[in-house]
Amino acid sequence: MDTTQLLKGVLDLAVLAVLKEEDGYGYDILRRLREAGLEEVGDASVYGTLRRLFAAGLLTTYVVPSESGPHRKYYSLNAAGRDQLTRSGKTWRSFATTMDTLLDDRGMAA
Amino acid sequence: MTVTGQEITDYVGRVRAALADLPPTVRDELTEDLPEHLAEVAAEADGTLVDRLGEPEAYAAELRAAAGAEAGAGPGRRGRRLAAAQARAATQLRALDTQLGPLLGQSSVSEFLRPLRPAWWLLRGWLAALVIAVVLQEPSGLLPRLDGSVLAGLFLLAGTVLASVWLGRRAPGLRGWPRRLLRLGTAAFLIFSFAMLVNVDQHASSDQFGSYQEVAVDRRYDRIEDVFVYDQEGRLVRNAQLFDQNGVPIRLGWPSCLDASGTVPAPRNAYPYCPDRAPFGPPAPAVPTLNAPPAPGASVAPAPGASVAPAPSGSATPAPTVSPSAVPGESTPTPVPTR
Repeated sequence: MDTTQLLKGVLDLAVLAVLKEEDGYGYDILRRLREAGLEEVGDASVYGTLRRLFAAGLLTTYVVPSESGPHRKYYSLNAAGRDQLTRSGKTWRSFATTMDTLLDDRGMAA
Repeated sequence: MTVTGQEITDYVGRVRAALADLPPTVRDELTEDLPEHLAEVAAEADGTLVDRLGEPEAYAAELRAAAGAEAGAGPGRRGRRLAAAQARAATQLRALDTQLGPLLGQSSVSEFLRPLRPAWWLLRGWLAALVIAVVLQEPSGLLPRLDGSVLAGLFLLAGTVLASVWLGRRAPGLRGWPRRLLRLGTAAFLIFSFAMLVNVDQHASSDQFGSYQEVAVDRRYDRIEDVFVYDQEGRLVRNAQLFDQNGVPIRLGWPSCLDASGTVPAPRNAYPYCPDRAPFGPPAPAVPTLNAPPAPGASVAPAPGASVAPAPSGSATPAPTVSPSAVPGESTPTPVPTR
């Protein structure tokens, strides 16, 4: 099954989860997602998701000047974002459990 | 850092161009941070932006999907509906593509068409040469002519074919407005060449006299205006009906005189149309060879034979031979020419 298809549905949740532990800028967030195992995620997807979450009022941003390179725009969760993360996380866990059970019942190995 | 500011600017420009169909506010919202973001990306690793992120158009598509820009924040209802209709049409087209593929022995129609692309380039070149010749008002058939010269036309043909092939090999690299322009041009070009081909085809299929329709099957009868039948006694038969061996009425001539009501009668199978113009008058009264005296004057009541349908009598014999005495110059007394 194509992971990119699955990613579309859960990228919001993944980005919110990554930002919960620590604020980050675009490329940083992408790198952390990949390190977490979502290797097929694309830069444009992450950037677009950040823009959308920001427009939806779930993120706040601040700019950190850098001496060596370009300025970096950091994203961080606000209250609404944390709230959204909690709800989406629950939905995902419930969904994942349902899928696991479905597959277990039919003897599919993990 | 191997990526220059100019490269970032170009990349952002192409991404924005690919998002041109979005409302300006949405597009600005999506891309306002893009230069900074790309600068971050560029700072992290080596290689050009295209190497790292793919073509800007693909990047824009991914960005659009991730940001949910289609369903999103601002495109007008009509724009959304248009986009939805476009997407539906594209889906159906793709389905049709794969459904019809097996008919052609391929997995899809486009699979079948792809190897034919060079053939299309050649065809396009040939059409272009024809179009140029026609636009220059040269009388062309299926070969273009210039100044009426086929040789010059062939040079033109070679040129357009080469240009078309060159364009065909370059076209996949085109993006943005040149690509759109090419597609639009191709569509217009196809319509124009179709119209022109129909024109050329008409020229080719019609020889010069083809457009005249034969009225009379046999030209020998073209001169005939009216038919006069005389019976054995040399009397004019009125309202004679002529038939061929199949019982089909024989139509000859046309009414050229006015009838009693002052109008030209409609053509009908009853001859003569104009009895007054009979070439021979009534026979002379006392003729020894006749066994019955003819009725006097032109007001001859229709001879018995006139109203008889000739079918049973085998009217295949031509009418004029019925009365050999009607032949002028022979058997002196009988018919007297009136004019």
